[in-house]
Amino acid sequence: MGGHRVLITGISTPLGGQLARRLEADPDVDYLAGVDSMPPPASLGRTEFVEADIRDPALAELLPGLRVDTVVHNNILRRPRRGMSPQTAHDINVLGTLQLLTACERLGTLRAIVVRGSAGIYGSEPAAPQFFTEEMSRLYPQRTRFQRDVGEIENYFAGYARRRPAVTCTMLRYQPAIGPSLDTQVTRYLASPVVPTYLGFDPRLQFVHETDGLEALVAAVRRPVRGAVNVASEGTIGLTKLVRMARRPTLPLPASLFAPTVEAGRRAGLPMLSPDFRRLLRYGRAVDLTRLVKEVGFRPRFTTEAAVADYLRARREAAPTTSGDRANEPPAA
Amino acid sequence: MNEAITFLRRLRSGLEAGLELPVAVAGAASALPRDARKAVERAVERLGGDYAEDEWGFDEEFTEAVFPLLELLYDRWWRVRVTGVERVPPHGRVLLVANHAGILPWDATMMAVALLRHHPLPRHPRFLVLNWAFHLPYVSVLMRKVGGVSASPHNAQRLLEQDRLVAVFPEGVKGAGKDFKDRYRLQRFGRGGFVELALKTRAPIVPVAVVGSEEIYPKVGESRLLARLTGAPYFPLTPTFPLLGPLGIVPLPSKWRIEFCEPIDTSQHGPGRADDRTLVLEIAEQVRETIQRTLYENLVRRGPTFV
Repeated sequence: MGGHRVLITGISTPLGGQLARRLEADPDVDYLAGVDSMPPPASLGRTEFVEADIRDPALAELLPGLRVDTVVHNNILRRPRRGMSPQTAHDINVLGTLQLLTACERLGTLRAIVVRGSAGIYGSEPAAPQFFTEEMSRLYPQRTRFQRDVGEIENYFAGYARRRPAVTCTMLRYQPAIGPSLDTQVTRYLASPVVPTYLGFDPRLQFVHETDGLEALVAAVRRPVRGAVNVASEGTIGLTKLVRMARRPTLPLPASLFAPTVEAGRRAGLPMLSPDFRRLLRYGRAVDLTRLVKEVGFRPRFTTEAAVADYLRARREAAPTTSGDRANEPPAA
Repeated sequence: MNEAITFLRRLRSGLEAGLELPVAVAGAASALPRDARKAVERAVERLGGDYAEDEWGFDEEFTEAVFPLLELLYDRWWRVRVTGVERVPPHGRVLLVANHAGILPWDATMMAVALLRHHPLPRHPRFLVLNWAFHLPYVSVLMRKVGGVSASPHNAQRLLEQDRLVAVFPEGVKGAGKDFKDRYRLQRFGRGGFVELALKTRAPIVPVAVVGSEEIYPKVGESRLLARLTGAPYFPLTPTFPLLGPLGIVPLPSKWRIEFCEPIDTSQHGPGRADDRTLVLEIAEQVRETIQRTLYENLVRRGPTFV
């Protein structure tokens, strides 16, 4: 193989930039383009930056000229950016994906589309199988807006894959990411001065370490497979253990008080917890990684617990004097 | 006594010196005798997140810690006699299939104690637990910690593929909600899902008969209204529950016998036969008959229920 021409959407996100740098170093990749509505924060190497909004129909005019054979769709928002309304996030996720796919319909050169989707499609269910496999995405009703959005995105891709059997569509279902350089809902939750939990619940959680997330994406670009593939670091961690490792005091709340308390906390400056994340904190979610390992050929380097430990170590080094870390010091005799 | 006072003094001075509670406790523990000191230090480590749970949430240390309490029930309360424990294969995947009664899984717990105490190579069994338990606060946490998983065939298959000892109760809710007059009469075994699993994973099936568990909560009726209000699959009424409130969940001290039967080898059939309905139902019936027969035998051997 060789001579690949790759287009990355969401190039200005941290992961988009990291993916571009990894592929720039790959001799098999001849040409790289990155699309985003705002310029990338770090300068890109040989990647050509294309300023465009994926919701814009003009994308369809622009794409054929790039003659790409692989599209990496990395522009699905897990939560609205700062100051962005949920409606806009929904538009970018659903309408943006639809526009992008419409533009891809006319690309004769296209061989593969790799999507960084979300394991949020499975939801969080109390008595669900402990590890969701890829065919279980419609086991339960879709309960939140984000879950429905992801479901809709997956439907578009399934339809596209049917119409264009020559194009390999890989739907990567990412678990929430954690890592030293990330600012996500999980890291904000763990950084808040007091951590709300559901009274009497200790869900099993699973994350993907940022380097595992990046390497899985690189592996899928090199070897795209048809259909959905779960992406996570191996194993799970209990919420109680997670919070104890993070040395945060908890505020256990009965289920009926959780949402109102978190909403009041948000107005007082504490992090917002999306409905999906709230369900995650109550019932947890983990996925099965057999397809990722066997078919994509990527085995995560981190366990979920190691990923959490790596994030916490970096956080402690960044702020060595915060009061929450005093327990690290040897006890006074 | 003196040690306890010294402990509290040091704890106070530690806290006054501005230490956080876990650190202060660990520091003050030096005043205690060695065993107590170790226990305190371990508890502090656990509070710091230093404990191991596997990917299912099973916490071996926690399970071992509650073990003495269960042993007390095993020896004194129910005076359990166990036979055939050596028939459980010491290595690899095994599917234990047992009769079931009562909404609290005491039968599963006592099976675990029997295996851990009497098996030459003991290991912790894992259980498929009624899904309703995972909706409940605290109960869901406790179940996971001692080796329970939600009753999904996917969970059972993954556990067996990890070469574990897995216990299932094919009677399910029907068994748990059995009337007292139907005790030791096995309810239907569903569609034989457990046999499909055993065939698919080539795990031997060990039928288990538990005598005694079906008398601990003599269910004489049920309340539809209370079931609806609590979201429970059914709401049992016994002579003591809910009449005596929390006291009503104290199980009656019946005498128990647990028998592990000869394993049924499924590997001779090959995993492809898991779709063969005739074979699946045939093996399911064989397991059911074995348990039923063994139940009757042990009922006779046990004699009177309570003495």
